[in-house]
Amino acid sequence: MEVSLDKRYPVAAGIEQAWAVLKDVRATAACMPGAAITEQTDDTHYKGTVKSKVGPSTLLFGGDIEVLGLDEAARELHMVGKGADKSGSSASMDLTAHLEPAETQDTCTLVGRAVVKVNGKLAQFGSRLLVPVSDVMLGQFADNFSAAAAAAMTRPAVVEAPAQQVDAAPQAQPSAVPPSQQIDTPPAPAPAKELNALALAWAVFKSWLRGLFGSRA
Amino acid sequence: MNAPTDPALQERTAALQGMGDSRLRKEDARFIQGKGNYVDDIKLPGMLHMDIVRSPLAHARIKRIDKSEALKVPGVIAVLTAEDLKPIKLHWMPTLAGDVAAVLADGKVHFQMQEVAVVIAEDRYAAADGVEAVQVEYEELEAVIDPYATLAPDAPVIREDLAGKTTGAHGAREHHNHIFTWEAGDKSAADAAFGVAPVTVAARIHYPRVHPCPLETCGCVASFDPVRGELTTYMTSQAPHVVRTVVSMLSGVPESKVRIISPDIGGGFGNKVGVYPGYVCAIVASIVLGKPVKWIEDRIENISTTAFARDYHMDGELAATPDGKITALRVNVIADHGAFDACADPTKFPAGLFHICSGSYDIPAAYACVKGVYTNKAPGGVAYRCSFRVTEAVYLIERMVDILANRLGLDKAEIRRRNLIRKEQFPYASPFGFEYDSGDYHTALAKVLDAVDYKGLRAEQAAKRADPNCPTLMGIGLVTFTEVVGAGPSKMCDILGIGMFDSCEIRVHPTGAAIARMGTITQGQGHQTTYAQIIATELGIPSEVIQVEEGDTSTAPYGLGTYGSRSTPVAGAAIAMAARKIHAKARKIAAHLLEVGEDDLDWEIDRFKVKGDDARFKTMKDICWAAYNNTPAGVEPGLEAVHYYDPPNFTYPFGVYLCVLDIDRGTGETHVRRFLALDDCGVRINPMIIEGQVHGGLTEGYAVAMGQQMPFDAQGNLLGNTLMDYFLPTAVETPHWETDYTVTPSPHHPLGAKGVAESPHVGSIPTFTAAVVDAFEHLGVTNMTMPHTSYRVWQQLKECGAAL
Amino acid sequence: MAKRIIKLTVNGKTVEKAVEPRMLLIHFLREECQLTGPHIGCETSHCGACTVDLDGESVKSCTHLAVQCDGSTVLTVEGLAQGGVLHAVQEGFYKEHGLQCGFCTPGMLMRAYRLLQENPDPTEAEIRTGISGNLCRCTGYQNIVKAIQYAAKKLKADAEAKQTVAA
Repeated sequence: MEVSLDKRYPVAAGIEQAWAVLKDVRATAACMPGAAITEQTDDTHYKGTVKSKVGPSTLLFGGDIEVLGLDEAARELHMVGKGADKSGSSASMDLTAHLEPAETQDTCTLVGRAVVKVNGKLAQFGSRLLVPVSDVMLGQFADNFSAAAAAAMTRPAVVEAPAQQVDAAPQAQPSAVPPSQQIDTPPAPAPAKELNALALAWAVFKSWLRGLFGSRA
Repeated sequence: MNAPTDPALQERTAALQGMGDSRLRKEDARFIQGKGNYVDDIKLPGMLHMDIVRSPLAHARIKRIDKSEALKVPGVIAVLTAEDLKPIKLHWMPTLAGDVAAVLADGKVHFQMQEVAVVIAEDRYAAADGVEAVQVEYEELEAVIDPYATLAPDAPVIREDLAGKTTGAHGAREHHNHIFTWEAGDKSAADAAFGVAPVTVAARIHYPRVHPCPLETCGCVASFDPVRGELTTYMTSQAPHVVRTVVSMLSGVPESKVRIISPDIGGGFGNKVGVYPGYVCAIVASIVLGKPVKWIEDRIENISTTAFARDYHMDGELAATPDGKITALRVNVIADHGAFDACADPTKFPAGLFHICSGSYDIPAAYACVKGVYTNKAPGGVAYRCSFRVTEAVYLIERMVDILANRLGLDKAEIRRRNLIRKEQFPYASPFGFEYDSGDYHTALAKVLDAVDYKGLRAEQAAKRADPNCPTLMGIGLVTFTEVVGAGPSKMCDILGIGMFDSCEIRVHPTGAAIARMGTITQGQGHQTTYAQIIATELGIPSEVIQVEEGDTSTAPYGLGTYGSRSTPVAGAAIAMAARKIHAKARKIAAHLLEVGEDDLDWEIDRFKVKGDDARFKTMKDICWAAYNNTPAGVEPGLEAVHYYDPPNFTYPFGVYLCVLDIDRGTGETHVRRFLALDDCGVRINPMIIEGQVHGGLTEGYAVAMGQQMPFDAQGNLLGNTLMDYFLPTAVETPHWETDYTVTPSPHHPLGAKGVAESPHVGSIPTFTAAVVDAFEHLGVTNMTMPHTSYRVWQQLKECGAAL
Repeated sequence: MAKRIIKLTVNGKTVEKAVEPRMLLIHFLREECQLTGPHIGCETSHCGACTVDLDGESVKSCTHLAVQCDGSTVLTVEGLAQGGVLHAVQEGFYKEHGLQCGFCTPGMLMRAYRLLQENPDPTEAEIRTGISGNLCRCTGYQNIVKAIQYAAKKLKADAEAKQTVAA
């Protein structure tokens, strides 16, 4: 089953700093709760994992990320992530994200369009939660991203052309990185933990409750 | 049979509690005390439990199955996959429709939740743990869900096992996802009539996929005794003898050493006719391990994988005169069978008895064509509380007649009056070749319209429509339907080559009690009571002392089981015929005891009387005793008979249903104000039991029409397969039902009985749709697809600008 | 997980068993206590076929762990008849044809039993709401309602008869 999400999130950093983080695929992936890049197979292909915990059972999605486009001028990243869990759920996300200037120099807006496709058990049993859960997950992602971009402001901008990330042999990078920590960017305030679905459910509920009274993140 | 007026005779008749008596049920005693014997109640020494690993994807290749972790789970004894069944050639099995179905997925899965592996363990918890630990790697394939898209030239190939097979069990296959094309009627006559018709209407009528969902799920306890070489399997089966034959053929165990026992069954409704992979795997596991193996599916498995019903996409057309007289019918159907054609139909009829779709109407020319196709969904379809495809047929014709009425501005009762087959026309030869045995449709219609004050209702509706402030839309739905049940004459009807006769064996004891066994199997229909009632009247023995048994293939005579309302028409006839053989012998004995000729005797309720001499008689009780010690010369002792009945024709019960409902314009909620169901099932055995079953069938019909659905997304995920979503009405939303009846006996049936209790399901579903559509008709709506949930009705209100 | 010893009263008898903490009450009753009256019809707690009476309340035994019921009193359909005499609800279901396949019946009876304790004189609407946690596929509920009304009347009459005797 398929869901489309169009989101806009405020970022507590200037557009250049935010772009530095966005085009760094590992850094961006690290902002997704429970996610990590484990390997880079070539310029545009990565392998990664997302770990999600629902009560006593843990879902471990292993999958592939392909960067389909990185547009410096438009400050836009287009990537596709696909993964499957051994217990029989699979998911893919086609994400186009770009940055727009906001009111001040120190802020900008992250604009994202995600088409999420879920198949298997997750689709069968989780379909009615897909949109609210995705909403909250993306909200957490945006918070982490914003924090990462803000932290980047205190350092010189690390402008790495995508080609640089290809230099290192695929195994060199992951060995330096414990699976659930970020790399290349200063640690975000909230380290990427496992996605805890019970906490997520509470967040979904709170968000729904807020929505009833008109305020939306 | 005329009821006696003499009080003494009435008393003797009443004492029998036979035909026509609303006697209380004999089977209730064990159920109300929790002493029923359902399959999951059965515990055998050393019994193991089986659970199933199922595919999360609708269409995928299996790259690898890793059993190692599962085998380490405490309590797990074995894990079987298709590879383990290959050496005994049981990884695929034949279906009842001439196709093959995977028992365990062989390299590829074809529908979500398909069986991939089975885990056998010491208890059900360990089996479940084992299932979680089996690791399967899949490679996703593109799924095809839409039955029209499945016939596109570039549609994914679902059945690679049928590659290159251009003929199937039912003729030529025109595409890799095509199963069969079946035709009935006269195409050129129909086309000619359409060519000159002044009025024609056409509509696509969709009958969505639903599931019978009985309260007890499917399951079995398979027990192979390696010492005796005997296989006993307790099974939730509506057709135990057929299963025995199939199991013997598949397993190689001689049929004399296979015993299938259908104990108490918690509802069937067609769900328990087929042979499911779980049964086959449990039997194999028991043979391999030499221990009993129990498999009981859970509700999600039941809804997701056992036989679904319907999923017919029907393009209907009627040709008519300007005053609404129908001259021809044409129907083209796409039938979505899922990944395997596991339809339980008589072999020669891949679309069942769909050609009853000319309905209760006198239509001169008709043609029907049904194309079966494969999709990545669970296999089937089955007859959910109906005779084969009769729900679809009746739905189609009743919708089309309403659409024609709408086109011509004719009242829906009036158009029926003009087209219903008249009483004098019976037996009636339908344009599809059925010979309807008997009917009096006009009387039934008049009775219903009169009872509800139809004119008054239409006047009320007109007034409400004229009032823009009326908060509801009022709908009146009327259906006049004919079913075809009692499959069936063996020259036409067979299941896997076995003719669809049925049987009864009766043995009467010296003290006047009896035991009788039949080839059918009750799942709540009350056979232990109604069958005893038949025998009671035929033999003059109280039904209270007639023991009825069904379901054990080692003791019951061969029968084709209970589904499609066939028990009374076929087994009921066998019972009457067997009883009459005993009755004939009893006459001989009576004549011998009274020292008169057989022709000098009259039968009266429970005894033979000498003509003209009331004081000289022998009761059946006397005769029973004499049968064991004083039979005439040349007559064997004992008093028993067997009869196998091959019916000369189907039977054709009919009904007239009317529903009044009010739709809330704010919420789309429907309130059923009134529902009157008039059924004619011929001679009635037990009115109380008939009425109870009509209530049940109407409720299941309400569920289908107003809420049941099986939504698939584009990748074949079944999105609503628990009772959170699948609509089973509670006592709160179930309407109050009113029932009535007429009696038009079947001329060819020994008792004049036609069979009942699926009619309320068959007839009520189009009645609800008719009423809902009628509520919107003045706003230009001519058809709406089920289910008529509040949300969907609300969407229609919005579309018409009628929402508050 | 290590088994735990639990002790409960089931149909008037003390039962003491060692069970896994994850064992459901319905499985405990059906498999440890050999009481196959309560049935399993779903796994989402909708159908009510597993309904029993626990410490004076109708509960769905599929949604209770056996260990949660340590020290409790359970009544199942097998415990309704006393001294070979059927309870009023059982008689009502028989007399009013409130069952067909019998699968929902044990749960329905236990619910009816408790419903009439809670509300001895229910209206039809109250009965329908009262049994809305118990699904039936065969009867359409109409005769079940009549059965419960029959039982209500009988219980009232029996109570009055007792009072008359006592007086």
